[in-house]
Formats: sequence, C-alpha cells, structure tokens
Amino acid sequence: MMCPEMEVRLNEYVDGTLAARERAAVEAHLAECAGCRAAIVELRALVTAAATLPKSIPPKRDLWGDIARRLGKRERGNGKRVWRERAFWRRALAAAAVLVIALGIYRLLPPITAHYRPAGQGWVAVQADFDRASGELGRALALERHRLRPETVALLERNLEIIDAAIAESRAALARDPANAELRGLFAAAYRHKVELLRWAAHAATS
Amino acid sequence: MTKGACCLALVLLWVARAAMAQARIDERWPLDAAGSVRIVHPAGRVRVVGWDVDSLAVVGTLAPGAGRFYSAGDGHVRKLGVDIPADERIAGRADLVVRVPRRTNVWVKSATADIEVEGVDGTLDLTSVRGAIHVVGTPQDVTAETMDGAVEIAGGTGRARVKTVSGAILLRGASADIGASTLSGAIVVRAAGWQRGGTGVQRGKFESVTGDVRFDGELGRGGVVEFETQSGNIAVRVPARTVADFDALTIGGTITNTLGAAQPTPRANGAGQALRFSTGAGGAQVTVRSFKGGILLEPK
Repeated sequence: MMCPEMEVRLNEYVDGTLAARERAAVEAHLAECAGCRAAIVELRALVTAAATLPKSIPPKRDLWGDIARRLGKRERGNGKRVWRERAFWRRALAAAAVLVIALGIYRLLPPITAHYRPAGQGWVAVQADFDRASGELGRALALERHRLRPETVALLERNLEIIDAAIAESRAALARDPANAELRGLFAAAYRHKVELLRWAAHAATS
Repeated sequence: MTKGACCLALVLLWVARAAMAQARIDERWPLDAAGSVRIVHPAGRVRVVGWDVDSLAVVGTLAPGAGRFYSAGDGHVRKLGVDIPADERIAGRADLVVRVPRRTNVWVKSATADIEVEGVDGTLDLTSVRGAIHVVGTPQDVTAETMDGAVEIAGGTGRARVKTVSGAILLRGASADIGASTLSGAIVVRAAGWQRGGTGVQRGKFESVTGDVRFDGELGRGGVVEFETQSGNIAVRVPARTVADFDALTIGGTITNTLGAAQPTPRANGAGQALRFSTGAGGAQVTVRSFKGGILLEPK
C-alpha cells in the first residue's frame, strides 16, 4: 500500500516535475518502501496508457458506462485506490470536455467548410450529442461535488441554472429557425460556457 | 499546591499562545532573471512583485491552520507555497509577498486566496477558485481564471485572456490583444489609444451569457473586435472619429446607434434587428452579437 503522504510527490516524480533534491528524497523512500514502488509502477503504466491515446477520439456511445463503473468501484469504499481513480476521473473528464468542444466545432462549422451539413439536417443529432456529453460531465461532477465547499456548490448551481436557461432559449429559437447561422453560433457559445463551467467545477473538486 | 497550579496554568498559557502564534516566513533563493516560479497558495493573499534583483524572496505569515510553507527548486524553476494535507479543510489564512526578478514567468494557483501581481514582465498564469486576481504592470502574457472572484488587469499587457464564471472583469490600459469570457459577470474594457501609450485594441473577443459587456476606448487600425452575449447588454463607446466597419445583430433585443446616421433594420424573418455600416475603409472590424440583449453603439 502506498504511503498516503507520498501521493502528491509520487505523481510529480512520475511526471518529472520534482526538483533534484526532492527527487533524490523520493528515490531514497522508494528504495525502502515496497508499497510506493508498486504505486510508481501503476502510475507509470497509467501515464504510458494515457500517452498512447489518440489525439482525437470519435465519441463512443458507452463512454459514461466506463466512467460510472470505475467511479462506482471507488464508491464501494476501496480507499486504497482512491488516488488512482481520481487521476482516471480527471483524465476522463478532460477527455469528455475535449469531446464536447470537438463536437461543437465539428458540427457548427460554417458553410464554407467541408464538414458542413445542409441547413437543418442533423440538428437533432447535434443537440443530442451535446446533451449526452454535457450530461456525462455533469454526472461525473455529481460524484465529486462533496469535495466542493457549500458556497461553491451554490455558485455552481446558480450558474448552471443560468446557462441551462440560455441553452434552452437558443435551442427553442433554433427549432424555429434551424438554418440561422447566427443562432448556431450563439447556441455553440452557450454550450461552450457550460463546458467551461463544468470544467471549472471539476478542477475545483479535484485539486 | 498553589505553586503547582500556577506552574500548570503558565504552561497551559504558553501552549495556548504557541498554538495561536502565526508562523513567519522569511526566505530567499537565487533565481535566473527569466526563471519560473510556481506558487500554490490556498487561502489568504499572495502578492507577487517584480524587482531588479536576481533572487526570489518570500516574506509573510501563516495563521494557525493555514498549512505548512514549502519550497523546492533551483535557479531556473522554483516551486513554493502552502501545503494543506488532503484530508484537512483550510482553517487559517496565509499572507505572502513574493519578490521575483522582473522577467520571471509566474504561475499561481489558489483556492480562496486573492492573487496580486505587480511589475512582473514575464508570462503570468493565474488561477483561483474564489479569490480575486489583480495584475498591474506590463506582463508579456496574462492568463487569469477564477470562478467568482473579480479580475482586474491594468497596464500594458501584450496578450491577456481572462475567464470567470460570475466574477466581474475589468481590463484597462494599453493592451493590443485581449479576450474576456464570463458567464454571469460583467466585462468592462477601457482601452487606451496612442495618446496613452497604446495602439488601441488590435484583437479582442468579449463574451458573456448574462453579464453586460462595456467597451470604452480605442480600436486599433485594422483591428478585429468581437462582442457576444446571450442576454447581457453590450455597449461600445469609441471616439467619434473611429474608422471601422460595424456589424451588429440581435435576435430578441434592440440596437441603438449614435455613432453615425445608419439605423438598424428588422431582420429578414422579422426576428430581431441588424445593423451594418462603415465609417471608412481600412479600419477595424467590429462584430456585435446578442441573443436578446440590447446593443448600444455610441461616441465617447
């Protein structure tokens, strides 16, 4: 089992961001601690696995299932793995955020681009993609919100209401005028704000 | 017996005083003129000041429960800050003043601590969850993000990118490339022109959902400036002599223009208003978009 007080240093050791003196201290500790050595092996495997991921990933329909399964493990009280799953959670959340943004850019490109869909075509799918991806972020955040201060949670909820209302307005306007490029831009901007908000909350919860 | 009780009371008093005492920080290390500093400061206030000395100095105090001060690094990169065990809540504030060589690149992360930076010319990357961020000087590049703290960038930044959730944003001075984004905070930009050492805004993007956006200043010749809100009002006040192409549109709001004679017209499908006009060739491009907020264009 890893020494709890070494969690941050081991992460930084693997990331290569430790100063020389601190690095030497960690190496001295590793020479005497089998638990931390095992943790280092796992961390390195995680980093290596993450590095092999493609730069862009087409959205998989079962993304949330994987996140929920791993988070569920932690909820069942396996405290020894908390630090590792937190790292996974951060990466999953980042990947989901990238996915939402990538989707938004791809689907909302102006007519001059090759990816453009004819007016009105596919908008139901676009909005469903947005909803699913931001829903994934929201559910992941819900599992971590206990880490946030109550006033931060209140702020988050207040602003989520604001942004959801803005998205609903844009969505309704788009339903009436689906070919309107300006409305698409405003709709995309509103969703971008929501992703930013969720990213912020996740950042606050995990740091 | 009485003597023993007195001794015990004195010991308890001493222990209580020791527990209440603030820890003082006063440390110094060599740092390259263009080195980097990473600061983690959960609560209280951290002030980073540029100076013309090739070293980094930290002075300050840690209240009980504020955590433990730490530092590591070498002459190129130094990390420092206040460390709080992961299972503990922040129970006290720390106030630090960090002096760095003027060209240092500075990275600061805080939870509730206010971040102030003054006279640093390097790159600044400042993040706080709930604290305010205040920058004065001429940094090369500023990135500032906070949830509901206010952000003020004053001076002559080469490039600035600011994001908040509900915090107000104030950008003032002679910055050529600036961007601000907020969900429910307000954005105020006061852009200096050549009279005050600036070139006007060459590249600007200001966006909010419900927050109002107000631009008051000069546009750079050939600059590209965009404003976008969902329901916030947008006010653009520029000198009457400004040469620019204006393109404004609102779906559910109204447009008021006193910059020139051109007046808004209803959009083709009857929803909202649009206005396009030019005050001369070769000027700035100004694009204003709002879903249902009002748009005001007026001379300053």
